[in-house]
Amino acid sequence: MKKKLVSMLLCVTMVSAMVMGCGSSSEEKTEEPAEETQEETEDEAENDGELTLFEQALAQVDEDFAPLPAKDSGVKLAAIESTLANSFWVTMQEGYEDAAAEYGVEIDVQATDSDTDTEGQLNILENMLIKDYAAIAVSPLTGDCLISGIVNANNEEVPIITTGNEVDAEALKAAGGTLAGMITVDFKSQGEMGAQYIVDNNKSDSKKVAIIAGNEGGTQADARRDGAKEAFEAAGYEVVAVEQCDFDVQKAYDAAAAIMEKNPDLAGFACGNDDMALGVVKALQEKDLKDQVMVVGVDFTEEAKEAIAEGTYDATVAMSPYLMGREAVIMMLKALEGQEVSSIGDSTPMALVNADNVAQMSDWH
Amino acid sequence: MKKKLQQHSYMIFLVSILVVLIVVLSIASPFFLSWRNCRNILNQSAIYMVLSVGMTFVICMGEIDLSVGSVIGFSGMVMGMLCVAGVPSIIAALAGLAVSSIIGMINGILVAYGKISSFIVTLASMSVLRGFILVWTNAKPIYGFSDIFTFLGSGKIGPVNVPIILSLTIAVIGAVILHKTLLGNYCLFCGSSALALNRSGVNVKKVKIAVYALCGLCAGIAGMIVTARLNSAEPLAGQGYEMDAIAAAVLGGTSMQGGKGNVAGTVIACLILNILKNGMILLSVSSHYQEVLTGVILVIAVLISESNRRKRSEI
Repeated sequence: MKKKLVSMLLCVTMVSAMVMGCGSSSEEKTEEPAEETQEETEDEAENDGELTLFEQALAQVDEDFAPLPAKDSGVKLAAIESTLANSFWVTMQEGYEDAAAEYGVEIDVQATDSDTDTEGQLNILENMLIKDYAAIAVSPLTGDCLISGIVNANNEEVPIITTGNEVDAEALKAAGGTLAGMITVDFKSQGEMGAQYIVDNNKSDSKKVAIIAGNEGGTQADARRDGAKEAFEAAGYEVVAVEQCDFDVQKAYDAAAAIMEKNPDLAGFACGNDDMALGVVKALQEKDLKDQVMVVGVDFTEEAKEAIAEGTYDATVAMSPYLMGREAVIMMLKALEGQEVSSIGDSTPMALVNADNVAQMSDWH
Repeated sequence: MKKKLQQHSYMIFLVSILVVLIVVLSIASPFFLSWRNCRNILNQSAIYMVLSVGMTFVICMGEIDLSVGSVIGFSGMVMGMLCVAGVPSIIAALAGLAVSSIIGMINGILVAYGKISSFIVTLASMSVLRGFILVWTNAKPIYGFSDIFTFLGSGKIGPVNVPIILSLTIAVIGAVILHKTLLGNYCLFCGSSALALNRSGVNVKKVKIAVYALCGLCAGIAGMIVTARLNSAEPLAGQGYEMDAIAAAVLGGTSMQGGKGNVAGTVIACLILNILKNGMILLSVSSHYQEVLTGVILVIAVLISESNRRKRSEI
């Protein structure tokens, strides 16, 4: 009996030690990477002498969000992301934390266990509302899952902004909730930028182009497709085919091969992402037509980076989760100062990457 | 007296973990003990509590039900589709619960009559149900329900959220059924020795089917709360929840070999797991540590529970 009591007590102390231990160690952790990355960027700037594309984009953010909020207000902010198993959200977390360090405020970033754990994300938001956070940035997993939490936050007068993902605006309105602001990704202009690149750099006489789109009904896929289509049509080009290839390399490869059979004089392909674009490149290489047909995509993956450097792939549109996190911090601070933020945030910097500037993109994140 | 204390030593252990957690967290964070936060914890535990009560029955019987996560999604989808089609909310909810119980019964029939291991049967139904949801909804959420339906998930009666009332009611009913009724006795007895129960003239197959139907019903209720709370039937709702329910039941002192378990333990275990989640956020700790901690507590708890059991059987 005595022995059991002792062992029980031991367990209990272990558990409590762990709770306390975890608490202190993570606080230290959050501050370190922020300082490191800042030093890195400073070093690079000194080496090059001129600004890289990423640094230009960083400056662009500050310009878009002027007047910038006051520093060192010491307020506590929070952010809720999707799962950190995806590097996109890890990079965004760095953006949040670096910007918070720069502005002398605190930020706690929490992520869901998986990208389907909608209920868990609502729980995190509700738990955060208990603490004295001044404002919270959320990247909702679905359009609906956080709506009741946002309404609660409105009642508590904690401003909420969305970063990247959006909430269902109608459902939010019906529930009586409001957002202070939104950082959105302009998927449509991603499509436009790629298409415009083909229009501007087309060396052949042909004005025929094709679009390889993602999954029909997907927000990003549809917006990129429509953006590309409008840009081509505005330039007087003929879009001979629009194929929905579900972001699948194989489908894009097959579609490109079929389109080339019908239209051997095609000028270019605008694709919904890099994976599909590289599938198209492969199909063109096998037909020995790559030199006369241009291919553009969206994402700037590692593979795309290499292909662009080698010269097999023409161009892609890069976006930056890091800058989105930074924008969110600035937007929250502006909102807390009473500045109007509902009209900004739809201009997250994007960069068109081609063989000329791919070498300068090493610090893009 | 000593013997009695020994019998309840595991419950004392669980309660002391709970108390220590509460004391540590209320010292570490000034927000922890506020009424709003306590309500949050109970509200967020509700779904797990309902699910784990059902799971406690199945595990007590020496079986397992991996399909409950998919049943959450399935019942939510049935309710969502009916609501959107204009069926009155109450009827839609009842239909969803009926479907969930039937799914449970089918699991039970396959386990009892098909003589297939319950792990395999419910693994298969988990996959089949999730597949159906994805096919029927085209992987898109169904949303926009009436106020009556969302009341079940986000409404309040006085200062208390509806899911809290629902979950505590179900926990009480579950405790009564497991510890005070014939079905509960048979369920525990079946876990100790299905053969002996059969020899004593009880239809073990019927017991199994009834218990699986009960577990399906609980999962259906959990699905109802999730759907009403999010005001949206997500195609992937409930994914992975079966593991949380099993963890809560086992942490609560239910033996995976069957024959032993109690609903009060399961309820306390659910609270412990959810307080951990809540506390991590209040202390600004990454949610990843919480998973580590949950695993460690689970192993320690089962070690203690099993060593008690062995000692008792030596006596």
